[in-house]
Amino acid sequence: MPDRAWTLDALEAALAGLPRPEFRARLRRDLERRARMTTMVDVSTITQTATPVLRVRDAAQAIDFYTRAFGAREVMRFSAGGSIPHARLVIGNATIVLADEGPAHGYPGPDQLGGSPVSIRLDVDDPDAVVDRAIEAGATMVLPVTDHFYGERTGTVLDPFGYRWSVTKVIEPMGVEEMHRRMLSAGGPPPDAREWIPEGYRTLTPYLVVQNAPAVLDFAKVVFGAQETMRSVGSAGGVHAEMRIGDSMVMVGGGAPELSWRGDSMATALHMYVPDVDAVFARAVGAGATVTHEPREMEYGDRECGFVDPGGNTWYVATSHGATYVPAGLGTVTPFLHPLRADAVIAFLTRVLGATTVNRYATPDGVVHHATVRIGDSAIEMGDAHGPHQPMPTMFYVYVPDVNAVYTRALEAGGTSLASPADQPYGARVAAVTDPFGNQWYLAQPNRVDKH
Amino acid sequence: MIDSEDERALVEAAQENPSQFGALYERHVDRVYAFVLLRVRDRDVAEDLTADVFHKALANLRRFEWRGAPFGAWLIRIAANAVADHHRRPSRERNAPEALEALEAPEAPEFEDLARLFRYVDELPDVQRTVIVERFAHERSLREVAAQLGKTEGAIKQIQLRALRALRERISPTAHKTRGGDPKEGGHA
Repeated sequence: MPDRAWTLDALEAALAGLPRPEFRARLRRDLERRARMTTMVDVSTITQTATPVLRVRDAAQAIDFYTRAFGAREVMRFSAGGSIPHARLVIGNATIVLADEGPAHGYPGPDQLGGSPVSIRLDVDDPDAVVDRAIEAGATMVLPVTDHFYGERTGTVLDPFGYRWSVTKVIEPMGVEEMHRRMLSAGGPPPDAREWIPEGYRTLTPYLVVQNAPAVLDFAKVVFGAQETMRSVGSAGGVHAEMRIGDSMVMVGGGAPELSWRGDSMATALHMYVPDVDAVFARAVGAGATVTHEPREMEYGDRECGFVDPGGNTWYVATSHGATYVPAGLGTVTPFLHPLRADAVIAFLTRVLGATTVNRYATPDGVVHHATVRIGDSAIEMGDAHGPHQPMPTMFYVYVPDVNAVYTRALEAGGTSLASPADQPYGARVAAVTDPFGNQWYLAQPNRVDKH
Repeated sequence: MIDSEDERALVEAAQENPSQFGALYERHVDRVYAFVLLRVRDRDVAEDLTADVFHKALANLRRFEWRGAPFGAWLIRIAANAVADHHRRPSRERNAPEALEALEAPEAPEFEDLARLFRYVDELPDVQRTVIVERFAHERSLREVAAQLGKTEGAIKQIQLRALRALRERISPTAHKTRGGDPKEGGHA
C-alpha cells in the first residue's frame, strides 16, 4: 500500500476534527481521579462473604508492612483527606480490609483499646519462613514457631499496629476425638463434657440404693412423672434402673421382691424443682410418702415441702418464685448432702473432681448453712449437719474424662478404693471409691470419646 | 509505532496500580478519538465517546489479558462498541458540521493516519501549534487568531501554511515530491 496522498485540502479537512487540548487534559485528570478513588476489584471476583476490617494507626504504613511481612497485595486504596478510610489487601485467597482508625468518630484502633482481642490465623506452607519475614519487617514475637498436640505448627507474632497473627501449617490433620486424646495424654485440661458424656446424661447422677427399687421407681413415676429409661439385673443380683425426671437422670439400684440381693440402703437427700410444688406434694401424700414439712414459703424465695419416699430417700421439693421455677444453674434434681463439715467435702471434690464453689453461706464461726459446688455441668448442694439433718452418705455416678487420673487423685485425697479402674462390658472404664465422708463415687470414662 | 514489550509493561503497571493508567491514556487517546470521530463526525460526540471508552477501559483493566492481542486493539474494540451504542440511540441527533463532511468522502483517512496527524500537531513549534489549534480545534477565524496573537491576518495565514506543510512533511514525507504542485502552497509554478 503506497502512502496515502495528503493534499493541503485533505489536511485541513482532517484537522477540522482536531481534538481540543482542554478535552484531552480534562479527560486525563478525570481518569486519574477515578483511578485513585474507584475500586479495581470487580465484585464478581469476590469469593469471600465475610471480611475482617482492621483499623490501624497508619493504614499506608500497615499496607506496606503486610506487603513485606505476609506478601499481601494491595488491590484497592481509597484515600480521602490525607487518610485511608478503605483499602483492600489480598493475602493468598483471602481479602482483608484496612482502614485508618478514627477514634473521634467511634472507630478506635488497638492503640486506644490497649490491644486487639482479634487475631488472624494465617495458613501458610512454611510458618518458620513467614514468621522470620514478619519479624524482619517489624513484627514482635509472641510465641515462637512450635508443633502443637492438635497437629499444627504455629508461630504467633504481634504486628506494629496491634494485631496478632497466628502463622500456621497443619502438619497432621486429625479429628476432635483424637485432639482430646492427645490433650489428656499431654496433661492438659479436660475436654468439654458435652463432647464425650453420653447423650442425655449429666456429669453427675445420684444413685439411690434401696431395698425395693421397683417401689421407688413407681413412686417417682406417680409423683414426679419420672420416665424409666432402663431396668436390668446387675452382676451382684440386684436391680439397676435409670429414670429421667425433668432435665435430670436418677439411677436406682438395690433389691426387688423377687430378687435375692441383700445389701444396705443408702438413703439420699435430693433437692428438686417442679412447676407446682403443691400438686407434687398432694400426689406424694397420695402415694404414701412420709411428710417432713408441708409446702411453705421459705426465706430464700422458694415454696418448698419435704417428704420421704418408700425407699427412705428425702425429697425437698420446691417451686422457685424467681424468673423460672428452677433457679439458674440448677437442674430438676440436685443431690443434697448433710456432711459434718461441708468445707472438708468441698475441698475433696475440688481436688479430685475439679469442683468449683458456686456459693457458700456460713456463719462467722464457720458453720456452713448452704453451699453449692459445680462439677462439670452438674451441681451438689450441701449444708453442715444439724438437728434432724444428719449425714446421709450418698452414691454418685460421675462421668470423668480420665478415670485413672481421677481414681488416683481420690485415693491421694483420702478416699478408699472400692474397685480399681477396669473396662466394663457396657462401654466404659469404671472405678469406685469411698470418700472420707462415706459417699461412694462410681467414676466412669466412656470408651468412645465421641458420642456419635 | 508502539513498542509491544514496552506497552505490555505499561499495561501491567496500570493493572497493578491504576494511577499508572495515564501513560496508556496518552499513548492511545488520539487513536481512540480519531477512530470515533471518523464514525460520528462530530467533535463533541467524539469527545464524549472517547471519555466513555477510557473510563470503561480503566474500570475493566484487570480483565484485559495480554494474549497476543495488543492493548490498542482492545481499546478500539471498546470504542467500536461505544460507537455502535451511540448509533442505536434514537434520541441523539447526528447533524455533522459541514467542516467534517470531508471525513465522509471515499478518500477519508484511516483513523491511524488521522491519529498520527493529531499527534504531530502537538509536536509543531509553539506558534504554529497555537495557530492550528485555534483555527481548527477552536474553530476561530483568521481575524480572531490574529487579534489573539497580536499579529496581522496575513501573518497568521503564513504561519498556518507553514504548519500545514510541516504536518504534510511529517505524515507523508514523499507526497509533495512525487505529486504535482498544490495551489494552496501559493505562488508555485
